[in-house]
Amino acid sequence: MKADRTGLSIRAKSNLTGWSFILIAVVMIAAFYFYPMVQALILSFKTGTGSNLTYTGGSNYVRLLSDKTFLTSLSNTFIYLIIQVPVMILLALFISVLLNDSKLKFRGFFRTAIFLPCVTSLVAYSVVFKYLFAADGLVNSLLMKLSIIQEPIQWITDPFWAKITIIIAITWRWTGYNMIFYLSALQNIDSSIYEAARIDGASSFKQFTKITVPMLKPIILFTSITSTIGTLQLFDEVMNITKGGPGNATLSISQYIYNLSFKYTADFGYAATVSYSIVVIIVLLSILQFKVAGDKK
Amino acid sequence: MKKVIALFLSCMVLLAGCSSGGGGQEPAASGGNSSGGDSGSKAEEITIWAWDPAFNIAALNIAKEAYSQKNPDAKINIVEFAQADIIQKLNTGLNSGTTKGLPNIVLIEDYRAQGFLQSYPDAFYDLSGKVRSEDFADYKIGPTSLNGKQYGVPFDSGVTGMYVRKDYIEQAGYTLDDLKNIDWKQYIEIGKAVKEKTGKDIITLDPNDLGIIRMMIQSAGSWYLAEDGKTPDLAGNAALKEAFELYKEMMEANVVKVNADWSQFIANINNGDVATVPTGNWITPSVKAEASQAGQWAILPIPKLPQSPNSVHATNLGGSSWYVMNIPGAETAADFLAQTFGSDVEMYQNLLTNVGAIGTLKAAAAGEAYAKPDEFFGGQQIVNDFAVWTAEIPKVNYGISTYAIEDILIVEMQNYLNGKGIDQALSDAQAQAEAQVK
Repeated sequence: MKADRTGLSIRAKSNLTGWSFILIAVVMIAAFYFYPMVQALILSFKTGTGSNLTYTGGSNYVRLLSDKTFLTSLSNTFIYLIIQVPVMILLALFISVLLNDSKLKFRGFFRTAIFLPCVTSLVAYSVVFKYLFAADGLVNSLLMKLSIIQEPIQWITDPFWAKITIIIAITWRWTGYNMIFYLSALQNIDSSIYEAARIDGASSFKQFTKITVPMLKPIILFTSITSTIGTLQLFDEVMNITKGGPGNATLSISQYIYNLSFKYTADFGYAATVSYSIVVIIVLLSILQFKVAGDKK
Repeated sequence: MKKVIALFLSCMVLLAGCSSGGGGQEPAASGGNSSGGDSGSKAEEITIWAWDPAFNIAALNIAKEAYSQKNPDAKINIVEFAQADIIQKLNTGLNSGTTKGLPNIVLIEDYRAQGFLQSYPDAFYDLSGKVRSEDFADYKIGPTSLNGKQYGVPFDSGVTGMYVRKDYIEQAGYTLDDLKNIDWKQYIEIGKAVKEKTGKDIITLDPNDLGIIRMMIQSAGSWYLAEDGKTPDLAGNAALKEAFELYKEMMEANVVKVNADWSQFIANINNGDVATVPTGNWITPSVKAEASQAGQWAILPIPKLPQSPNSVHATNLGGSSWYVMNIPGAETAADFLAQTFGSDVEMYQNLLTNVGAIGTLKAAAAGEAYAKPDEFFGGQQIVNDFAVWTAEIPKVNYGISTYAIEDILIVEMQNYLNGKGIDQALSDAQAQAEAQVK
């Protein structure tokens, strides 16, 4: 018997084989995900500049609560979240339903065109947006030619308009990405359901609210969670279009972390603390979204 | 069982491959540092990081050539990164505890120098025996030294001047002499007249960059921090208050063309949208880039603060200096700096003629390149003028948190522009700075 020779039972052997197959993944994930996460948590209890770090217990967390700049970045990020995510989700839903219409011509072209923004480089599109929305940029000159505005809008240097610019930019970049999820989900809805609804005399709007949206619910939940996480980690657009200005009006949490680590004299301990605040917020929001929209099992 | 062992072994090989691959990339990214393995012998190959190809990199190339003539064996790698990238790489490299991938010599802005020197003790090589600090402009010694030891070789002076469009000024009914040795109050008045007559703004400013405030307060010997370089000095700082008030006055007089970044700043200058540009001398190559405006520009002394008695017509904006990292190769790197930027008067003449880079080595100021007239600026001996102003720059202690405090001030400046009281704005900034800067 083989088992006698190696001293292992067949069950133990198959277990060992199974473990050895996932060993690489386990080691890699432990080394590149869990180890840094634990290190960052430890780091968040230290203060000091550069490599002069000392343990100071929870002082960073106390500082976090009274840090005006952090609170500004938090509220900015939530403004993006509250305005941009619903707008984008609705827009993506609307566009995907339109593009799912089998009678529409050039469907492939439209789908590609709307999906394309999300494969462009974050930095490249941010830089292009910055020039489009400059005081003497294309957007302003277009709006002035059309007599919609009299004076150029200070898209980048006015606190209010800078936020709007960021929202427009991320909506442009990510709507197509969400649309793809809805499109693929829409194809899985049996057309006979719509047929039955039409025979019963349901209007298009009724069909949309009573059939499409409920059937897409798991996908809507998925996209809203990923969009929420994405928005909470917003960095490239803010960094490249407004640098967080004017006067922190567009500063996102991620950019604040960057500033603490690299723009100011490096304070990695406090930067790690701010990073962990995002982790906590994302966990809380995801739980909330599951509770509100998830299936009750 | 054999299969399991084979699989396990192959995993190990794969992991080992990964880790050595990761490690191997570091020196490659830095441009290579031959000295890693053999720390006993003196390394002949050094790597230098700097930003700005037209200014610092060009200066390095001249220094490299000068050094190679005396030391033909030396191999010098010059690597260009954006300043923000250098700061990032230095911080992450020094924090990771491994010196692999770090350069031997690095350029650091004076505002940030103390932050690096104090945050990473022992990371920088003591140059005290190699260069004499008294050979350089006095105001450069504060940022480049720590606890009596000289760590940096002072380089780019950062001395400021007011670049002026003669034609606009004359159209507004003034002569260049009317703009010489004025204060900022008079500057704004002239700005209003220029705007009225020519429709051009007097200045272009980025609301996210308080460089002009820094120029104003240093001209009065004042800074965001008290002399110890640690205590925030915002609420009771008379020069800062005056600078804030002048900034607001300028904004409300409607004589400012707002820009959002560096490229718009340069575009505003080159397109002829502004009548003056008060800034560091490093702008010279960018101004001269628009050759069609030759002869229309002049450089005058920077205005001073009207009410601060200490204020002079000279200040600094964003100068930088060279630092040697305390890693194998430091000896060679220190020798390179000592022989070139630390003492070579002849090389400085070359730097001026070919790059327009004004250093801070006192002895170099006597050279003939300093007296050379610049036709772009109507035959003005601009380097001579800058050298005179360099000597007058008040010495201040930048401390370690210039940019952290500036971000606080930018917010309070916006609040002040929107109607908040000046004393309230500055005391709020003081409170926040005290909580943040420790």
